[in-house]
Amino acid sequence: MWTLRPIHYLMVAPVHLLLLVFIFLPALYVGWLSLTHSTFGGPPEFVGLSNFVTLLGDRIFWRSFWNTLIVVNVVVYGELALGLGLALLMAGWVPFKRVVIAIILAPYAITEVTTVVMWRYMLEPDVGMINYALKSIGLGQIEYSTDPFTALMVVSVLAIWQHLPFTFLILYAAVTTIPSELIESAKVDGATPWQTFWHVTLRLILPAVFVALMFRYIFAMRIFSEVWLLTEGGPARMTEVLAVYLYRQAFRYHEFGGASATGWMLLLLSLVIALPYLRAMYVKLFRHV
Amino acid sequence: MRGWKHTILGTVAAAALAVTSSAAFSQAKPEKLVIMSHAVHKSAVTGEKGGDSSADWQKRNGVAVEWLTFGVEAVHERVYREASLASGTVDIAFILERYSGPQVARLFEDLGEYQKRDGIEDFEEISAGMRTAHTHKGKLIAIPFRHATHGLLYNQVYFTERGVAAPPKTMEALLELAEKMQYTRSDGTLVHGFITSFDDPSGVVDLMRAFGGDFITSDYRFVADSPGSLKVVHLLRNFFQKGILPKNVFTFKTEEVITMMQQGRAAMTNQPFGRYFNYNDAKQSKFPGEFKVTTIPASGGGIAPAKTSVWGMAIPANSKNKQLAWTLIKELSSKKATIAQAINGNGPVRISAYKDEGVRKLVPYADDEAAVLQGARSTVPGFENTQKAMDFFMEEIQQAMLGTKTPEQAMADLKKRVEPLLPK
Repeated sequence: MWTLRPIHYLMVAPVHLLLLVFIFLPALYVGWLSLTHSTFGGPPEFVGLSNFVTLLGDRIFWRSFWNTLIVVNVVVYGELALGLGLALLMAGWVPFKRVVIAIILAPYAITEVTTVVMWRYMLEPDVGMINYALKSIGLGQIEYSTDPFTALMVVSVLAIWQHLPFTFLILYAAVTTIPSELIESAKVDGATPWQTFWHVTLRLILPAVFVALMFRYIFAMRIFSEVWLLTEGGPARMTEVLAVYLYRQAFRYHEFGGASATGWMLLLLSLVIALPYLRAMYVKLFRHV
Repeated sequence: MRGWKHTILGTVAAAALAVTSSAAFSQAKPEKLVIMSHAVHKSAVTGEKGGDSSADWQKRNGVAVEWLTFGVEAVHERVYREASLASGTVDIAFILERYSGPQVARLFEDLGEYQKRDGIEDFEEISAGMRTAHTHKGKLIAIPFRHATHGLLYNQVYFTERGVAAPPKTMEALLELAEKMQYTRSDGTLVHGFITSFDDPSGVVDLMRAFGGDFITSDYRFVADSPGSLKVVHLLRNFFQKGILPKNVFTFKTEEVITMMQQGRAAMTNQPFGRYFNYNDAKQSKFPGEFKVTTIPASGGGIAPAKTSVWGMAIPANSKNKQLAWTLIKELSSKKATIAQAINGNGPVRISAYKDEGVRKLVPYADDEAAVLQGARSTVPGFENTQKAMDFFMEEIQQAMLGTKTPEQAMADLKKRVEPLLPK
């Protein structure tokens, strides 16, 4: 057991200073801005909670809110399931393992804009290869530009495809650190593969799962390019997510007060989702410290 | 001690004087003048065909011109952000009338005052409508530089294939033709009869105006529920459901329309006359030399009051080189420069440019475009909530096209949403 001395605080001070200057103070400024009517060409005017009231009464805000929740959950849990499956697969024997891992990681090296443009052309209704192939075999088409649900699912698939390597890497690293003796002991004790996974592997990689979940929740909550470049929130703003809603307010309507209020709502939503995981991580990792 | 004090004070004063005079000198003669614009303005000013219309000014003044170019939305966001600072680095900003409005007027110099002191050559020749589009709260905040006015562009090869001898003379004929031009070619290419951009209301508003309707009039009245406008909403819904408009038309920005036309996947569109060059460019188009452009016909005949947008040159109020910036604006607005810019592909704001032989040789649509300009109007007049009103318009139009609302309901809902935003 050791005690915290001034030197310890001094050593962590720089990182806290950075957080204070680049995260905390700007967040406070945005908080203040959210209480004002602010646009180009004039000083901000204090309006109290009016921006939040407007926001909560706007049906497009609520639609964006629900769309964000749907997409984020599909993306995060889809990625987790796939990432975990691939991590377990790769931990065993796989031919050309390095090549396969490189293939899994490849999408992460592509920019989001390139990814969306590429998929958008593949899904083009007249000449896109995916839609053309589907139509040729009588399966219809993926009509992301007219069907909001399909559009949100395409956005989710795109996001999973691109960000899977992040989750995979974290989980793969965790899986490969599990001592083989533990797995062998479970087998010797007569555990089935599912029991081994459930009672041994999963328990040991749980902290890594929480880290992956939390980071992906936070990143996915800000999902923007996939939606903006694929549908721009259409048709009829039915696929808009909160980041797109915020972008319109800030950069198209120049309503910085409303945009800041949206930013704070997004932050609160992220916190509400992240808190149980943060708590679980804290209990798992630091309760003995 | 006293001597020391004097020495220190003297040194400080000398240093201050040096700094001040250096600042004064740099204000009088900066090394460069910074212009923030869209790339199209840079190519209009510095293009090869017509020559660089800023070159003489740069030589005379010994000052270079630095261009910072961005996309349409981004350039306005950056310009307004820069102009809101206590001190700015942008000396001339190109702004589009529908992104402007009374709310940003205080960020820019009143160029009417500059014009009174040191006027632009034959200023009255620049259309009054274009000047009004950039006048807010009595301030002329930008000098018109470029217009992009819509015409009807069509693929002559497809017209011939479908036995169409000439472009339509009435809007009714155009709509019939759009249906006729919906076909699959022998090589398997699916041709859409008519396409338009859904990036903003301009493509749809052209059609509404052809039938006597509109979205918001220049005196800020909501008229998208008028019979002419409603007719177009019904028509778009019908075209969308029949497949004349592509399934993914809601995602169409200008670039998608250009690509579709260049690839021969659509027969007609309403876009700026200047796209004629993109469509006929052998490097980009499958049908170089086969695209023609004409005026958009009105219902019953004549020319429809198509959309025009007007870019203007403004001087941010926080520029350090306002007078110098004005001299460059004067230079770029001269008759000679306007012609050079037109040859570089710019939509000239002076009617005299259309009479120039050099322009006429390169711009076969000069007469048509000049004719349209007489009645052309901005998509919507500039006001504080222009962008929001345009977004609402596109949203309700799409609802009607998808069938989630009737056209009447969509326009009634639009009215409820837009009217509170309009200036009283």
